[in-house]
Amino acid sequence: MTGPEIIKSARAEKRTVLTEIEAKTILGEIGINCTPTILASSKEQAVATSHEIGYPVVLKISSKDITHKSDAGGVKVNLANKGEVEQAWDEIMASCRGAYPDADIEGVAVQAMAEMGTEVIMGMIKDPSFGPVVMFGLGGVLVEVLKDVSFRIVPIDKNDAVEMCGEIKGKKLLEGYRGQDPADVACLQDMLVTLSDFVDRTPGIEEIDMNPVFAYKAGAAVVDARIILSAE
Amino acid sequence: MIELFFKPKSVAVIGASGTPGKLGYVIVKNILDSDFAGDVYPVNPKSDEILGYKVYRSVTEIPGDVDLVVTALPTPKLTVATMEACAQKGVKAVIIESAGFAEMGGEGKVFQQQIVDIARENNIRVMGPNCSGIVSRNIVTSIYPMTKKVPDGNVVLIGQSGLLAAGMASDIVENESLNISHVCSFGNKCDLNENDLLEYFGNEDDVDVISMYLETVSDGRNLTRIAKKAAAKKPVIFLSGGRTEAGAKAAMSHTGSIASNAKIVEAAVKQTGMIMADDFTELKDFAKVFSTQPLPRGNRVAVITLAGSVGVNVSDLCAAHGLELPKLTPETTEKLKDMFDTPVGNPVDLYYSVTKIGFTKTLETTFPDAFRDPNIDAAVVILAGFKYTQEAVQKKIIQKIVREVGKPVVVCMIVGYNKYKNVIMDEMGKELPVFPSLISGVKALSKLCQYGMRKQSS
Repeated sequence: MTGPEIIKSARAEKRTVLTEIEAKTILGEIGINCTPTILASSKEQAVATSHEIGYPVVLKISSKDITHKSDAGGVKVNLANKGEVEQAWDEIMASCRGAYPDADIEGVAVQAMAEMGTEVIMGMIKDPSFGPVVMFGLGGVLVEVLKDVSFRIVPIDKNDAVEMCGEIKGKKLLEGYRGQDPADVACLQDMLVTLSDFVDRTPGIEEIDMNPVFAYKAGAAVVDARIILSAE
Repeated sequence: MIELFFKPKSVAVIGASGTPGKLGYVIVKNILDSDFAGDVYPVNPKSDEILGYKVYRSVTEIPGDVDLVVTALPTPKLTVATMEACAQKGVKAVIIESAGFAEMGGEGKVFQQQIVDIARENNIRVMGPNCSGIVSRNIVTSIYPMTKKVPDGNVVLIGQSGLLAAGMASDIVENESLNISHVCSFGNKCDLNENDLLEYFGNEDDVDVISMYLETVSDGRNLTRIAKKAAAKKPVIFLSGGRTEAGAKAAMSHTGSIASNAKIVEAAVKQTGMIMADDFTELKDFAKVFSTQPLPRGNRVAVITLAGSVGVNVSDLCAAHGLELPKLTPETTEKLKDMFDTPVGNPVDLYYSVTKIGFTKTLETTFPDAFRDPNIDAAVVILAGFKYTQEAVQKKIIQKIVREVGKPVVVCMIVGYNKYKNVIMDEMGKELPVFPSLISGVKALSKLCQYGMRKQSS
């Protein structure tokens, strides 16, 4: 399905929360690089897909009813072989069925274990007065505790994106702190503009979360993504 | 149409009163005492004459056209009736000063909606309710008695608070050296809001600085668009009150849970190139610097002082607010070497020069040499209130040098501010920003430098 089709079918199902695979499909279509993520609806399929993608892999519960995947025990990372994938499948299913007995579970999303990079967050929300707003910040603890993030009102231009990346307190971490590779900040800036352009021309989106995004020396990859549509 | 509020040819005051002290009296008196040259029509069914003006029983009885109506009626119900009379008369601009509307909730909300409905149907623009309208040289609609005329300035102050256009305006006019031209409060903004005024004053050539106080943002998307345009032309200083989590909802995403109204407003201020003030004093302080000083090319500052300790303190403050203190060029140092026993640095401690050639002469020669240095974009001048300072101040030495060199200066007073406040204000204040503290001067200068640099890069 294409992005507009995904949104249309979610609307038809009276659903506002898109699955991770749906969100990544939409973001990939607008030119934002996401880690490849494929739905497996059975244990066998999960193993086959893992072979195809190449180990190590990540398995995440895929259900329209479970939005907080980790909390439900729906995420297993760094799975190195067939046996680990099979075991992870069983554990995820048991845990999620336990936490959400009525959830409609379509399977698991299998994705490549992304190479570690500098962890950043990008997002979008709709402010009651200012309309769509984009956000950028460092991921992980820094976003949880320090709330070291920057916002701008949509639409933003390249200059705004440059300012956003420059005004967070932790910007030194993007410059390559203590021998770590510097992040491809230009790529992050382009992603912010792409995100802004997308929400500016696409009404009906309430929130977008790309968290984490791994920023590399060259390029960046969205590891987890979430899109929430506005209630109609 | 917004112009009708600021440049009306005729004004009717509804609820006008002949009893001194009553709001309806103060408004008429304020209009009388301003430079307003048009027709004034007090309206009151029970009076014949107020302050020499013929009184009309209703707005519909007024013979000529009425450009602007000011109302201060005791009940919302009477105000709604007046709106209907205004519509009948063909009035296009109404200032409603009375309170008791949406801010009270309940019935007040209903009355306010009735006013909005009448206004929309009849193409009337409404300022207020719950405001005190406009304080300017041309017209004063405030309910606070003005004792001095508003200066013919270049600074506009707009905001929601009624106090702003009432108490604060009269205080600025009486006690402060701020070149104000309009103070305007729009209260509940049932119709006219900050975006209308920002657009209007952004396009007014005789307005150089806009200071704005907001508690609620009416239409943030439009504000961003309009403020961007206005701030590209002239500085827009912004104070946001009530930066609370109101309006925040149970967000499902990370982004949503971290976003707060304050953060979004802050983002809008940065994005549009507005200048954020943290309190009412800064709203005025920044306006003072922006309205009197040329824009610097950069953020390289010379600190000019008479006392070493103060120079050290200011240097710290400069660094904390993004201002650099570069070394002066060897040419300047060479030029000044006879005036100093030690190599001249930055801060430039004028003490040695003062002991050699006296204070006034130092301000006329040594200071300008340091100020002209090509490494320097702006200066913080620290003065102490002494007798000889008064003399130098009265000779307007610093103003002349600022004009000549074309770089900005802020003056910070350390001692004797209160004693010499009037001298400094009268002689210097309208042309030079003088601050009673180091931090206020440094902060204001840093905003000026930021704006100057942003303007050059865009």
